[in-house]
Amino acid sequence: MKKKTIKLIFAAMAVTALWSGCKKDKDLVPVPQPVVNEPEVFTTMKLKFVDSSNVSNIKYATFRDPDADGGGGYDIFDTIKLAPNKTWITTILLLNEIASPIDTVSNEVLEEGVDHLFCFTPTGSSATVKRTDIDANGRQIGLQSKWRTSTLGNGTMQVELRHQPGVKDGTCSPGVTDISINFITKIQ
Amino acid sequence: MNKFFLYISIFFISTLAIHAQSDTCKNSLYGKIIDEHDRKPLEFASVYIVELAKGAVSDNKGRYKIEDICNGIYTVKISHIGCESLQSKIIVKGKTNQNFYPEHHAEILKDIEITAQKLVEQTTQTKNDVSEEKLNQSKGQSLGESLKSITGVNSLNTGNSISKPIIHGMHSNRILILNNGVRQEGQQWGVEHAPEIDPFTANKLSVIKGANSVRYGSDAIAGVVIVESKPLRDSAGINGEVNLVGMTNGKAGTASAYLEGNFNRLKAFSWRVQGTLKQTGTVSAPNYILVNTGLRESNFSYTLGWKKKKYGAEIFYSQFNTTLGIFGASHIGNITDLNTAFKSPVPLETGPFTYKIGRPYQNIEHELFKAKMYIVTGVKGKLSVTYARQYNLRNEYDKHKPLNDSLAALNKPELQFELTTHSADIIWEHNQVKHFTGSIGFSGLTQGNTYEGRALIPNFRNYNGGIFWIERWRRNKFELEAGIRYDYKRLQVYKYQYVSYATYQLVTPVHTFENVSGNVGAIYKPGSNINLAFNLGTAWRAPSVSELYSYGLHHGAAAIEYGDNTLKSERTYNGIFTLRYTPSKRITIEVSPYLHYVNNFIYRQPATVPVVTIRGAFPAFYYKQTDATLKGCDFYLNYKFTNSIELTGKASILRAWNNTENNWLIMMPSDRYESEITYRFKNYKKLNSSYLSASVLYVTKQWRVPANSDFVAPPSEYYTFNIHGSCSIKIKNQNIELGVSVFNLLNKTYRDYLDRFRYFTDAMGRNITFRIKVPFNINLKSK
Repeated sequence: MKKKTIKLIFAAMAVTALWSGCKKDKDLVPVPQPVVNEPEVFTTMKLKFVDSSNVSNIKYATFRDPDADGGGGYDIFDTIKLAPNKTWITTILLLNEIASPIDTVSNEVLEEGVDHLFCFTPTGSSATVKRTDIDANGRQIGLQSKWRTSTLGNGTMQVELRHQPGVKDGTCSPGVTDISINFITKIQ
Repeated sequence: MNKFFLYISIFFISTLAIHAQSDTCKNSLYGKIIDEHDRKPLEFASVYIVELAKGAVSDNKGRYKIEDICNGIYTVKISHIGCESLQSKIIVKGKTNQNFYPEHHAEILKDIEITAQKLVEQTTQTKNDVSEEKLNQSKGQSLGESLKSITGVNSLNTGNSISKPIIHGMHSNRILILNNGVRQEGQQWGVEHAPEIDPFTANKLSVIKGANSVRYGSDAIAGVVIVESKPLRDSAGINGEVNLVGMTNGKAGTASAYLEGNFNRLKAFSWRVQGTLKQTGTVSAPNYILVNTGLRESNFSYTLGWKKKKYGAEIFYSQFNTTLGIFGASHIGNITDLNTAFKSPVPLETGPFTYKIGRPYQNIEHELFKAKMYIVTGVKGKLSVTYARQYNLRNEYDKHKPLNDSLAALNKPELQFELTTHSADIIWEHNQVKHFTGSIGFSGLTQGNTYEGRALIPNFRNYNGGIFWIERWRRNKFELEAGIRYDYKRLQVYKYQYVSYATYQLVTPVHTFENVSGNVGAIYKPGSNINLAFNLGTAWRAPSVSELYSYGLHHGAAAIEYGDNTLKSERTYNGIFTLRYTPSKRITIEVSPYLHYVNNFIYRQPATVPVVTIRGAFPAFYYKQTDATLKGCDFYLNYKFTNSIELTGKASILRAWNNTENNWLIMMPSDRYESEITYRFKNYKKLNSSYLSASVLYVTKQWRVPANSDFVAPPSEYYTFNIHGSCSIKIKNQNIELGVSVFNLLNKTYRDYLDRFRYFTDAMGRNITFRIKVPFNINLKSK
């Protein structure tokens, strides 16, 4: 009986020793391997404004932070320039330009619309925004919106993407910020 | 009086031995007498063979030898003052080695400790142990928490589950952790990276304060944490221990056990297997539940030893696995979110209790394999060679999984590091030659790091080499120690550097560092009740990869950090003076003032202009160097009013100054005061070692911080009350230990300056822990 237990203990130790000794040293490869799972990031927001009274009148504004969470800042940060007293049909395009090919992340935001909400906060001469698209639960998303401009002048428009998994209630407060850009606006 | 009896018995036994000389047999029985509890050798223990009426007394190393006996089975009786006499059947065949492990009576144990202490090597550096009582009280908690009972030692926390030790205000890469004689190599630079060590593998935790680079290698500029396992059994038999711990806060459970043995047939071989399982659910602050603070841990280790008189070898393997949730409301998108979180009186996310761990979380694995060999080189000394391999895998998962379904299905970590370290040490220790003892050694290390996912620190390969020499001179009341070490370090970095839009270039810079460290120390014992130790040391630390190459958003800290690849090594000069004074048997006073002057101290300096990213604005921090002065004092007082009531007081005070900026240093512990009153009960029937203690901890507000350097002002001062109680019940010669502790008795709400979650939440509320320790012995029948 005793002998059996002793044998058992030895066998168990031999097995663990073998098992534990078999892990490979990955670091023996000196050069970093191509990044396998570069996490999903947003690098770029493109706003497209179509004049509702004249569909050939199209304006764009872009913000690009090409290394995303890296330490470099933005390399493109446009001012939104729109004519006054018009309604602009606005579409937001989000890109991950680190991925190759470039990933259109806004498609995924649309797919998971129930967890996302765009918030627009104007100051000064800017625009008033109405979201025009809805998610599966009938709540607004904001990838599509209508911007109404009025008086001439300068102001700002903060465009925020709130990630609200399981807590989306139609308001901006729940969740965390995925994107926050404070565009300068010129109504001219 | 006791000594008198001892001498009488020595005389008596030796006379008997002479009388029995007529026996013609020439065999012998020899071995060691070792204290069953702390494995220290016992002097003046008598070993007596009943059948032959023959015996011997152990020397100051616990050794005994009975010569001129015949082969056969004998009844051997072992007695020692303060020990219950032990009797066992022993087979003598030729020259037979047999060790004995008598057990001390707890009440007398205290007297014995004084004699036993003399056998322990004292270094001139300030070394403090976590007492056995405190170690037991902290069972089930992390390593960082277990060390806090030492004055001058603190912890840097990220909530309840991540705790890093701080010595004299310094942490992470400025502290060395020595796990079973091997330098712990994990991703130590991160403040949210706790040491990957199961405290249950240790039967002793100690901290050496001050620069200790000479013996253990560079980086140990603030001190060394030593985690030691119990020595293996060296006589036949199997024994083990089961520990169970339950905690009310987080409904946590921990089970840990070990089994160790040595067989009659193969005396040289000893073994031990050990394992721990731990699970914690979401913990609560006094007023709310902290979402996603659960933790799971599973660890195991084994040790195999082969011990002969002239040589020996040991293999140790341990694996540490943990999955721990990061408090949900602490993960924020940008600085606006952070400000919203600060202003909210209740964390932005709360929820029900659960054992489930959701995003964000960390998953960490650490493996240590160690092989050690030693050989006695004649009478002159001992040569030992140690090889170790460590593998550290760290996976960090962000709060939200990828939007892309196919990416999300892979469930890969957003951040992964793999660090593999190989190290070797060769040390030759020489025995005493004309009052001198010493050691000389060489150590080498190579380390490789690879990452996947977000690039926070680059890939690198690291080569270190060092050589040291330490000599100690001892005579009567004086002891002097001096040591010198040279280290060389080569760091090869592989990094994709951002050049312009969508263009990254592989850069492979090489950094080399070389430096000398040294220390001199002295101990002076003018009387038996006074002990003065003084140590002067200088040590250095090469900048870590994160300090050199951080470039980007640190998600946990909501800050953009910029490393500086021109950083130079830090160098520290420090002095520590320790006075231990025992004016009477009832009073012990220890005062230990210290001064660290750190040249090129690396710290993060906030920039005035925030960085605008697509996520919004973030504060930027640059790694800078300055000259810093850290000075302070640790106090300890123990006063035994009577045999049953004792009072312990502790205080640690620290002032840390940035000399270049002429300002305070950020993230330094504030002053702490603790006092504890203990009542020890008299033994009653089978109950022994019973005590009840109450303690109060007072932590002052840290107002010594540079202005506008932090997101929110440091939290206010706080008090916490704790209660501990324990007793042992003797059942079948084994002491079963039961304990209960109540942490934060009054369920007070408070925030600690050194807890990174203080921005978001109150600290943990009341926590009652119950623990039971069951040792057991399996006697192998001799045939």
